[in-house]
Amino acid sequence: MKRFALAGNPNCGKTTLFNSLTGSTAHVGNWPGVTVDKRDGVYKKCAEPVQIIDLPGIYSLSPYTPEEVIARNYVLDEKPDCVINIVDATNLERNLYLTTQILEMDVPVVVALNMMDAVKKAGDSINAKLLEERLGVPVVEISALKETGLKELMDKAYNESKKTRVGSTVLEASPLAHLIGDVKIALKGQNVANPLFHAIKLVEEDEIEVNMHKETLPMVEEFKKTFNDEIFGSDFEALVADARYKYISSNFASVLSKKSKDTTKMTKSDKADKVLTHKYWGIPIFLVILFGIFHLTFGEDLLFLGKIFSLPSLEDLGLLNEDGDPINFGVRFLATFYDGAIMSPGVWINNVWNDLIVGEIFGWLGGLVEESGISPWAVGLINNGIFDGISAVLSFLPPILVLFLFFSILEDSGYMARIAFILDRMFRRFGLSGRAFMPMIMGFGCSVPAMINTRTLADDKERTATVRVIPFFSCGAKLPILTAVAGAIVAFFGVGNADVITFAMYLLGIVTAIVCVLLMRSTTLKGETPPFIMELPTYHVPQFKNLMAHLWDKTKHFVKKAFTIILASTIVIWALTHFSFNWTFLEDEQVNESILAGISQLVQPIFTPLGFGSQLGEFGWVFVVAVVAGLIAKENVIATFATLAACLMAVAGLNFGELAIDAEDGIDAVQAMIQATGIKVPGLIAFIAFNMTTIPCFAAVATAKAELNNKSTYHWTLVFWLASSYVVAAMIYTIGSWWWTLFIWAAVCACVVCAIIFKDKLFAKRK
Amino acid sequence: MKIFEIVLVIACALFVIGVITASIIRKKQGKSSCDCGGDCSHCKACMYAKTNKRQ
Repeated sequence: MKRFALAGNPNCGKTTLFNSLTGSTAHVGNWPGVTVDKRDGVYKKCAEPVQIIDLPGIYSLSPYTPEEVIARNYVLDEKPDCVINIVDATNLERNLYLTTQILEMDVPVVVALNMMDAVKKAGDSINAKLLEERLGVPVVEISALKETGLKELMDKAYNESKKTRVGSTVLEASPLAHLIGDVKIALKGQNVANPLFHAIKLVEEDEIEVNMHKETLPMVEEFKKTFNDEIFGSDFEALVADARYKYISSNFASVLSKKSKDTTKMTKSDKADKVLTHKYWGIPIFLVILFGIFHLTFGEDLLFLGKIFSLPSLEDLGLLNEDGDPINFGVRFLATFYDGAIMSPGVWINNVWNDLIVGEIFGWLGGLVEESGISPWAVGLINNGIFDGISAVLSFLPPILVLFLFFSILEDSGYMARIAFILDRMFRRFGLSGRAFMPMIMGFGCSVPAMINTRTLADDKERTATVRVIPFFSCGAKLPILTAVAGAIVAFFGVGNADVITFAMYLLGIVTAIVCVLLMRSTTLKGETPPFIMELPTYHVPQFKNLMAHLWDKTKHFVKKAFTIILASTIVIWALTHFSFNWTFLEDEQVNESILAGISQLVQPIFTPLGFGSQLGEFGWVFVVAVVAGLIAKENVIATFATLAACLMAVAGLNFGELAIDAEDGIDAVQAMIQATGIKVPGLIAFIAFNMTTIPCFAAVATAKAELNNKSTYHWTLVFWLASSYVVAAMIYTIGSWWWTLFIWAAVCACVVCAIIFKDKLFAKRK
Repeated sequence: MKIFEIVLVIACALFVIGVITASIIRKKQGKSSCDCGGDCSHCKACMYAKTNKRQ
């Protein structure tokens, strides 16, 4: 099967083209660096099936970051039958810089002028024929998004793949041509493949090339002595880049005809950036947008209208019966979005899903099981062990999807890249570049791809620091913990708003990440902060297809997880709570004699300083079980609560009817835990904080191990996660319970800062 | 124990063993169990990282 590689600058639309050609649903985003590894698919509309390889975006073939090395190595070592060079037609000159380098390789090349729809919309035009003549390879106008020109592109690529092409360079007209020619002849004599490409890279003193051709290097140095430039001296990398850009602007700029000759005229994106990336307002606007997202997802009083206008509740309107239930189905539906306040879209979807769909289905199934006449233990296993665990996890699907819909809109619109830009100045003070922001923001989705995305960071120490703090950015799986515990705090103690608590916990994660980065970059991971260069993509309206693809991926994975790993975990937890160490079956009331209780009670004292240890008495061990189950998958925390709730209710004589509100399963389960253990608000907040900042799930830990590539760093990372979560949770619990301990913690922090400064000064003095 | 209850216990045990075995096999194959949806590049990226390490 023929293999075609898609190569081009970051954010030029390679993955969109890949998806259009192969029918894949690979993740696309409107920011540079979404793809960090090659992926492949099959295009079937040519004379024969063709394998398409999507490569990470690169600005040049002299790589700096790991994902750039992947792209370069693929084109050089795997020898594809054709390279399709995607060029962002809205940014022609800059994109052609890479094209001039790809042309130097002995491989068939076809240039795809992507985003031609945007060029035409702006009233501009590109003379593709003229460009084709000057480049010496076929040029095809396409729009990957609108799927136009793709057939022609693939046909031309297929025809080119049958031919043999020898590399050519635009540097032939430059003063360097003679020097390059000499090196090329020398390499050709050594039977090196792609001699022209390697010769130019050797002249450029490309690090990879220098290591690869050590024996040729002295000869190249000899050749170089005969050459001197007045401006760049012996900086050959700059010399080559300058020669390329000069050639591009004198030969290729003329193929583009702009409608407006006024280059100072601001585009819509420029105007939006004037506000959104403002020096002072940029960050506050970002925080307001972030709060808006949380309010629309979790807010039970949209725009606080209920409080402002003192809107009447359903009870005040006489729409509830004596038992407090809606009088008919219409009122029941009304209750999903109004009860003394208009609920946010996230809460409304959540209520419809939980009250009218999940609640009904699992309630009906539970009833069937109870009436089936099987033994009480089998009813317990099915209803409490299986149904309660799964329904508790599934009940959090709507908020997760709504939240990620908003994040996807921000990402697709191009605003996420702006946030990296506005945060760069702040990040730089903490020892990171703005580029580290992108993996961190991905961490809000899932830590695994976020950790892999750190490959876009060139500096190893910056990379390690970023990998370590990524789990602090609360991922989708942690959302059920946050929502359920925050909901239970509001329902049980009547304290605060669920959306404000959730937002505050997200901020806590960000602040913890910043403090930890600051500490690491001033102590164990000291180093220069690398410069941050990022192309800001043009704003555009998010594509409906992309948004739906993101949400579908999320739903598919969440549901799959609920019916596999979460279900297996709840079964195991149910079994461990219903058997004693001598394998006798236990009733719900005997839960404290179970294997799980026995083991957990041993570990329980460790969590005493965090507020959910020995002080919670005989049932406090449930929090230990939840924390440990969370290491498998964070959704397990609430599934565990739901599974254990039935046992605790039986043994502690609790009744759901006594609970403050009739909430979703997860919130009810946490309220049962609160009633049984007597845990207080600081302990609950510390519990959330510990789960948010501790060792992430197994998948994320395995990824960190693979990405860090160093056993010692990996082991220290595990210690770091444990220590930071313990300290953060202990701080929250102690300050929340005894406010005066704030001064003790402040003194401890001051001592740490002084110690770092003193150590630095001592080190500088010795140096 | 009724037949249904025996079947239930066996099914639960098999399910748990199946999930554990499948996750071990996935891990050996280099696939992750992240939230990326499974058909993005990252699963292959995990595999790539491991192949690279082996090399």
